[in-house]
Amino acid sequence: MIEMSRRLPSSLLHLTAILVVLVGATTPGKAQSETEAAAPERIDLTNFPGELVDKVVVPIPAEIFAVLDKLDEPDWDSGIELPGENAPGRDRAILALIFGSLVGEGFIAVQAKNSDEIQKIGRRVLSLSESLGLAGAVRPHSLAIIEAAGKSDWEKVRDELDATQQTVRTTMESLRDDELSGLVSLGGWLRGTNVVTAFISNSFSEDKAELLNQPGLIAHFRTMLGSMKGPSGKSPQIRAISTGLARLESIITQGTNLAEEDVNQLRDISRAMLDEYYFVKP
Amino acid sequence: MPILALCGVLSITGLVYGFVNEAISLALEAATPYVEQGFEVREDNWSGEVEPGKPLLIRHQLFRGNEYWFWAGTSWPGATIKVDVFDNEGNSVGLESFAKDSFAGVRTLPQKTATYFIRVVASYDKEGKGLTAAERGANDPVDGVGEFSGSLDWGLVYGYR
Repeated sequence: MIEMSRRLPSSLLHLTAILVVLVGATTPGKAQSETEAAAPERIDLTNFPGELVDKVVVPIPAEIFAVLDKLDEPDWDSGIELPGENAPGRDRAILALIFGSLVGEGFIAVQAKNSDEIQKIGRRVLSLSESLGLAGAVRPHSLAIIEAAGKSDWEKVRDELDATQQTVRTTMESLRDDELSGLVSLGGWLRGTNVVTAFISNSFSEDKAELLNQPGLIAHFRTMLGSMKGPSGKSPQIRAISTGLARLESIITQGTNLAEEDVNQLRDISRAMLDEYYFVKP
Repeated sequence: MPILALCGVLSITGLVYGFVNEAISLALEAATPYVEQGFEVREDNWSGEVEPGKPLLIRHQLFRGNEYWFWAGTSWPGATIKVDVFDNEGNSVGLESFAKDSFAGVRTLPQKTATYFIRVVASYDKEGKGLTAAERGANDPVDGVGEFSGSLDWGLVYGYR
């Protein structure tokens, strides 16, 4: 149960605990002994007789970092780059992007197993959530991040970072701020992508470069920014990020292997995008 | 699976902790044993309602080098659910799967980093074949309560390692 509590989404742990006690957990062995689900060998994606679900779940940086750790031994500490504490301004779209990138920074710090940086990030996440008016929802997660980092419980920190981002996005969606919710995901994805490109540039291999083959996600983010309403959608930062995404998309084309020069360009473009709102000079 | 007892538990916990997506809760229940094998289960997920038998297709980015399990659930008494995974050419890439009443799962090891497609099908036999007497009783409407509305809830979660 302790191990379980580290990996299951924390917001549902209480429920799982009750279910395990009252209903009984299904073991993998039992599951496999039940009816093997017969899947068709092939489906026609161009003429699918059903419904395509709109929702896109954006992978957290930790999913990509996990693969990079299997292929190499990146110096994750060198990837941490917590920006100075500048006044973040009042544009909620930019605050949402910063929030996502800060959570992305947290995933880098967890990979580095750097307690001090994680605790700084936990406090910064809480401070930023106050600017977004979401401190009440974020505080328990921030405190859990800080506490788990103090105990070097990296899996718990990773879970809480995911939970923090999810809580903020769900709260924003409940307030009909779907645009902001998407920007949180974009901020996290961009910070993760930038650090991954930097590591791959330093030690290039085709296997590692393949991790950047994510045209579907880039197209999703472009569509999302293109449909933004209100003044935020026309801000210089959002326009610069839209342009950056178009440049990333032109390099990442499905089915083409990325060369070292391509990865260098992806690193520089993603860095320039982060410079617009995250690594802002005072 | 004592589904009514499960629903009762979920309803009680829902009252205590606020809104609970029962289909997601069942998908997470299916995930529980795999957590012990080192799978990290994501907080984000997919859910909604669908007509019985109508397939759903979900696009998702997977990374070569990770191993993935997708778990699906539906909470309507007597309903069943299946989940499969396909590459971007429509070829089945599931390596292992199970489907047991209200939850199901499929495992894959992507051969390339790309967009994949997860197919979910929730089904329901309105006649109640295969249900216990107690479960059939639960489907009898009481002043409209418990009457099948024509759509089933579904939820999908995933984990990686």
